[in-house]
Formats: sequence, structure tokens, C-alpha cells
Amino acid sequence: MKSYVAQRLGIAILTLVGMSMVIFALLRLAPGDIVDILFSTAGYVNDTEKQAILKELGMDRPYWVQYLDWMRQILTGDLGKSYRYDIPAWDVIRPLIPVTIELAVLSILVAVVLGVPTGVISAVRQDSTLDYVLRVLSLAGLSMPSFWLGMVIILGMVSWLGWIPPLTYVKPTDNFKAHVIQFMLPALAVGYRSSALIMRITRSSLLEVMREDYIRTAWAKGQAGRVVIWRHALKNAILPVVTVIGIEFAFLIGGLVVTETVFNLPGVARFLVQAILWRDYPIVQNLVMFIAIVVIFSNLFVDMLYGVLDPRVRYG
Amino acid sequence: MSRMRVSIPLAVVSLVLVIALGTPAVSQTPKAGGTLNITQREDLPQGFAIHETSTISSVWPVMPCLSNLVLFDPLKKTESMDTIIGELAEKWSWQDNYRNLVFFLRKGVKWHDGQPFSSKDVKYTFDMLREAPDAPAKLRINPRKDWYSNIQNVEAPDPQTVIFHLKRPQPSLLMMLASGYSPVYAAHVPAASYRTGCIGTGPFKLKEWRKGEFVEYVKNPDYFIKGRPYLDGLKYVVIAERGTRTAALQSGAVDVAFPGETTKTAAEQLKKAVPELVVTEYSQNVNDNIIMNMKKPPFNNAKVRLAVSRAIDRHALIQAVHQGGAVIGASMAPKPHGFWGLLDKDLHTLPGYGKPADEKAQAKKLLAEAGATPQNPLRVEMVTRAIAIYVDMASFVINELKQVGIEASLKQIETAQWHATATRGDYQIGANLTGIGPDDPDANFFENYSCGSPRNYSFYCDEQSTKMIEQQSQEIDPKKRLAQVAMLQKKLEDDAARPLLDWRLDYFTHRPYVKNLVPHQSIYNFGRMQEVWRDK
Repeated sequence: MKSYVAQRLGIAILTLVGMSMVIFALLRLAPGDIVDILFSTAGYVNDTEKQAILKELGMDRPYWVQYLDWMRQILTGDLGKSYRYDIPAWDVIRPLIPVTIELAVLSILVAVVLGVPTGVISAVRQDSTLDYVLRVLSLAGLSMPSFWLGMVIILGMVSWLGWIPPLTYVKPTDNFKAHVIQFMLPALAVGYRSSALIMRITRSSLLEVMREDYIRTAWAKGQAGRVVIWRHALKNAILPVVTVIGIEFAFLIGGLVVTETVFNLPGVARFLVQAILWRDYPIVQNLVMFIAIVVIFSNLFVDMLYGVLDPRVRYG
Repeated sequence: MSRMRVSIPLAVVSLVLVIALGTPAVSQTPKAGGTLNITQREDLPQGFAIHETSTISSVWPVMPCLSNLVLFDPLKKTESMDTIIGELAEKWSWQDNYRNLVFFLRKGVKWHDGQPFSSKDVKYTFDMLREAPDAPAKLRINPRKDWYSNIQNVEAPDPQTVIFHLKRPQPSLLMMLASGYSPVYAAHVPAASYRTGCIGTGPFKLKEWRKGEFVEYVKNPDYFIKGRPYLDGLKYVVIAERGTRTAALQSGAVDVAFPGETTKTAAEQLKKAVPELVVTEYSQNVNDNIIMNMKKPPFNNAKVRLAVSRAIDRHALIQAVHQGGAVIGASMAPKPHGFWGLLDKDLHTLPGYGKPADEKAQAKKLLAEAGATPQNPLRVEMVTRAIAIYVDMASFVINELKQVGIEASLKQIETAQWHATATRGDYQIGANLTGIGPDDPDANFFENYSCGSPRNYSFYCDEQSTKMIEQQSQEIDPKKRLAQVAMLQKKLEDDAARPLLDWRLDYFTHRPYVKNLVPHQSIYNFGRMQEVWRDK
């Protein structure tokens, strides 16, 4: 187990190094840079002044020097300075992370709470009216983009209640109720879509397991339906569901752009898009690395969880 | 009994009078207190460094922190010489036939960090802006250097007096100094520090700037105008999504819209949903125009440029692209929105402003003279910024050009590259927007039409026009200057220097309890907020 984890961590580090190169190169391939944007806000460009600013920001150095400098910064825990804000990148990034993680966790919770039970019900009541209703609802969830649903929620609230959720981040310590409302609405919008996916995976996986001999044996032994389904069938059907949950969580960390924008939540994804538009390399590079780390470790966590959920899985 | 007979008709007459004249006005004595939530469409582009930007996204949320020498009266709709009031300057005086402008500064003014304000700060700021050889500081980007190019020297003979010595008379200097783009920086803090914070003398002090989220101010208790500001604070909430911005205004989560953002259609929808909202139509002082690169064929040919100008039906564009929320005008904002604009009768004599069918026929003739025929049509690439308000206009123009035989393809340029493309002339023809700080000929003509200006994207350089620009700038007699500016506008349109298509209107929206927030004829100059109060 330990050697497996060490091996995975080694691969993770290699992946991150590869990622860092790709991010670094792609950003430089995109047309324009921060200085072009700065001049854009002034409405003109002066090449001499541009060179001076590039030098001030250290962007006149060869790419490999800039890359190594970034790596050195990461290893020393200094993420550099935001080009746009002229303050340490970490000071810009730090407040964004809890917002996105909280929203992603809440969304996944909503997705699991909605998706797993409905998937089980749908499988157990296969081809019943309830099954069809749940499948239609899940298809609707998959078809509706969460940002569209989010906008509908906002517009509905304005029209019917004359109210919208807070527009600036409310700390739970300042106003817990407002904080919960601020996060629950986008979590519902995002979680509904993810729940549809989880429901469909749960259903198909459970249907497959329900046809296994050991389930038939459990029924034959006269075990209660609840026990057969939840203890025997679902436990064996859950692995693909856990995989999907892991992938969804990792996706949500960087994929909440539009939801964060619609609900005006100051999270990682919304800020990342702004940073890309501004070519604020230190912010973009470090945020993408953060997302990559979350993706790698959530995958690792899911793989570890297989062993806990299924004793047949062994790590070597 | 008889008294009763008299009093009944009296009461009826009184009632009729009250109804006819309207109910007595509710007292409008300003109330102190409260915070205003104001919409901000994007985070501050370069912090509080107004002098390093040219965007309303900076001026609007930063103006409350800073002060000018002079400012356009926040309570008056029209900006002109007559509506300029003193801010840091208590009085001012033109001397030596408009060659010297003397400012007498207020006493006892303090910066937000407690340091005293003096003439040293004024000299520091304007030496930096005009890039004087001995300037103690340099801006890394200086978009309005041209505004101050006529200043020979700034003298600070004592802490309360500043003299601007000019190379030649320039009455408009005062107009430019009254713009929201002309605040005084503190000499005792580095100019670069305005990118991250704000030490000003304005009515509000910076409390917090949470990046990408909001900018919050609190009342400056030491503000130099006693009894101002009325509000306890301001909060500019960054809302990037347009739909959310509208919903926020509709729900009352914000009290004030972002200037220049509310279209006619959006305003009508908002008013329908919330009838009590206050909507004010005014000119943004932003125009749609066509830039044509005169350094390259085919637009180095005046006939081709003129054909383009004549091909575009301005009225149809206003209806199709702005749903009526714009007005036609030449290079200065038209009356009644602007002070210098041409009258309708003069406008209709200009190329492109006549009957669309006649204009298109003339455009075809000009193109034929330039060698373009239906068999050999002119093929060009039109560039525009990859933002909806630009692309919509460009698409309309392409369709108009097609009708006279110009085949234009559209190339969208990302914001990061747009100004670089235009300034370097890496284009043939472009659909462009131009915003002008104050409604003043000097602020417009030197920047957009003078030889060598970095924002003269068409590279228009005409000896006669240059003379006319200089001449109107020096003219002291307002009537003569108005006539000269009219002549110049006609000349620029005749030369198709940068054909004007329309002047955009904004439908500025706020909640009814927001008082004394008066939009001017330019979006860049009414954001100080010291007179604004909440009637709630």
C-alpha cells in the first residue's frame, strides 16, 4: 500500500511538472500579454514604453529563465507577484480557494444526496412510471447547463420575490444564514446536473449487480429487500459511482466559471478567466497548478477508496 | 351661514389649484447618512491610478477618492466653462491673454493619510503628466500627455498658489482640468502606489478593495467642503455578468447602475418591471466610427474613404444596432446632448447624412472612379474588437458596404490586441468606438485627428486641418470658436478622416431614493458623489 502511494505520488509530481510546462507554453502562445492589456485600458500603445514595462515585470528575459524562476518560486513557497494587481499572487489567490472548495463540496453533496437514492429507486423500480419520471428528470439535468439554470433561479427570484442572494462574499462567521443561502442556490444549480449523471451511473451499475448470482442467493435466503439492495447490491455497485463523484469534484474545482459569474461568487474559476483575459501569468499559472493538484489528489483519493469499499482491490 | 357660503367655493378653488399645480413638493433637504451600493462592471483595471488608464471602469469607482483643481458642477447636467466649480482651487484667473492660468488653492486641505495638501502636489502631478524634463516622477503609461502639451511650465510660488504658464492661449485647458481624468496625486507617495491603494483628498476614503469583488469607501471626515459628503459610505460591487447586474438593480441589491451600460431596450424592460426606477437619457460622449488606414491602399485614396462614409445609413444603424438609443452627429457630440455639435441642417449637407439611396449611388460612383467595378469589387478585411457592442456595429457596416460593392470580411481582434492593432496600423478598415473625456474640441481633436497622435488610428494628417485644430484651440471668443469648430467638423467629415456613425446614449438608472446623482453629457465626469444622498 505504502509503495503504491509512493509510486502514485511520484507519478503525480511528474504529471505536475509536465503540466507546468504545458501551462507555461500555452500562455506564451496566446496572442498579447499583460502590457498590451495595460495599454489597451489607456487606448494606445507605445513600443518604447512597452519594453520598459516588460523589463519591469521581468518578461523580457528568455522563456526558460522565466520558467525556472517560476519553479524556484513554487519550491520556496513564493508564488510571485500578480502583474495586474502588483501584490503577491498568493494574496490574490488565497481568498478564492475556500469559496470554490465550499461550493464544489456542497454541489457534490447535493449531487450525491439527490443522485444515489434516485438511482437506486430507479433501478429497483425498473420500467415503472417512477423510473421513467426519474429518468426524464435526470435527462433534463444533463441537458440543462448549470449556468442557465443559475440564471433562471436568479431571474425567478427577482420576479417572484424581488430578491437575489448576496452579491459579495458573506463569511459564515458574519452571517451564517446569508452564507448558507449564498452557497446553497448555486450548489443546487450545479448539483442538479451532477446528480443526473450520478443517478444514471448508479442505476445502470445497480441493475447489473442485481442480476448477479449472489444477489439472487440473498433474495432466496429471505433477506429483507432493504438489506439486499443497500448492503449487498449497492455496496458492489458503488465503485463506478465513486469514480464519477471523484471526476465531478475535480471538474467542479475549475469548471464553475459561469456559475460563479452568474451568482457573483469570488471563486477560483471566475477569477481564473479574468486572469487569462489579462494575461496575468503568475495568477493563471498558479491557479491552474492548484486545479491540477486537486484533480490528481482527488483521483488518488478515489483510488484509495476502492480498497476500502471493495476488499478484493489490492494495491501492489 | 354666509361665511360658509364663501368658504366652500374657496376650498374648491384651492383644491383645483392644488391639483392643477401639483401637490406641494416634499422637502428635498438632503439627509446625511447611509451607504450606496453601486454597480461596477469589472474590477479596477489599474487600481486607483486614473492617470494610467482611459476607461470608465477606472474613473467611475475611483473619482470619490480624489479631487481636481476644478470640476464640472455635479448638480448641473451640462458641462461647459460656465458650470466649472472649484475643488482644490478656491478661485482661478486667466492672465496675460489666456497664457497664464493661476489657481488659488484652498487652505487646510489634508490628504487621507493626514499630510497637508499644497501647491507642491499640483506641480508634482502636472509635471509628471506633461513629462517635464525635471519631473520628479514618471507614469509607466501616460494616455493624456497630449492634453497638457501646451503647458510650458508649472510654477508654485507659494503653498496656496499655482500658475500654469502656457505656450499659447488655450481656454480649453480648464475644461480638461475639470474632467474626472484630471485629479491631483499626492507628491509624498509614489505614483505607482495608486495601482494598489488611494491617498486622495476626495470626499471618501478607501476602506477596502477586495480584488474582483468590491471597492468600499467611508466618508472622509476631513473633507474640505464642510457638510459633505452626505453619505457615510460607498460600495462598488463588481458584477461581471450583465444579467446579474440587471437583476441586482431590479431587486434593489444595488442602488445605481454602471454608466454607459443600460441600453434603451434594457431601460424600458427595467422600468416595466420596477416602475419607480429613475431612468435618465443622456449622451455618453462615446461615438461609433470607422477607422481607415490611410497609410495603406485602398484607403489612402480619399474617394474610397468617402465612398465608405456615404455607403453607411446612419439612421438605419441607430435603429438596428441601438434600437434607437443613439443620435447622429459629426465629430463633436450633437446638440442638445453636446455643446459643440453641428445643427441638423448642417449635418444633412455632410457626406453620408443625406438620403440613403442617393448616398449609396454616390458611393458607387466614387468607387467606380477609384477603379472598383461589380466585376472587380473592392475586397477588404474589416477588423473590430471581439466585444458584442463592436461586432454588432461592424456586422451592420459590412452589410452596408456590400450594397455599394465593397466585399468586407470581418476579423475580430481580442481586447488584448485591439489597441495595438489600431495604433500600429495593422489593419485596413475597422469598426471602432471612441470615448471623449470632457465635451471639448481640444480633448477630441488633438487626440484623434492630429498628426502623430497615438490615438489617431487612421493616421489622418492634413495640414489645413492641423491649422484649424490649432486655431480653434487658441480662440478666446466663444462665438468665433464655435464657428471654427463647426468648420473643422465639416472638413473632417468631407475628408472621411474617421467617419462618425452615431453618438451613443445611455439610460442611466438608479433607485428613486438616490438623490443628486445627475448624469452629465459625458460618462467620465460625474462620479465624485459628494452631493449624493439617500432619501431613505
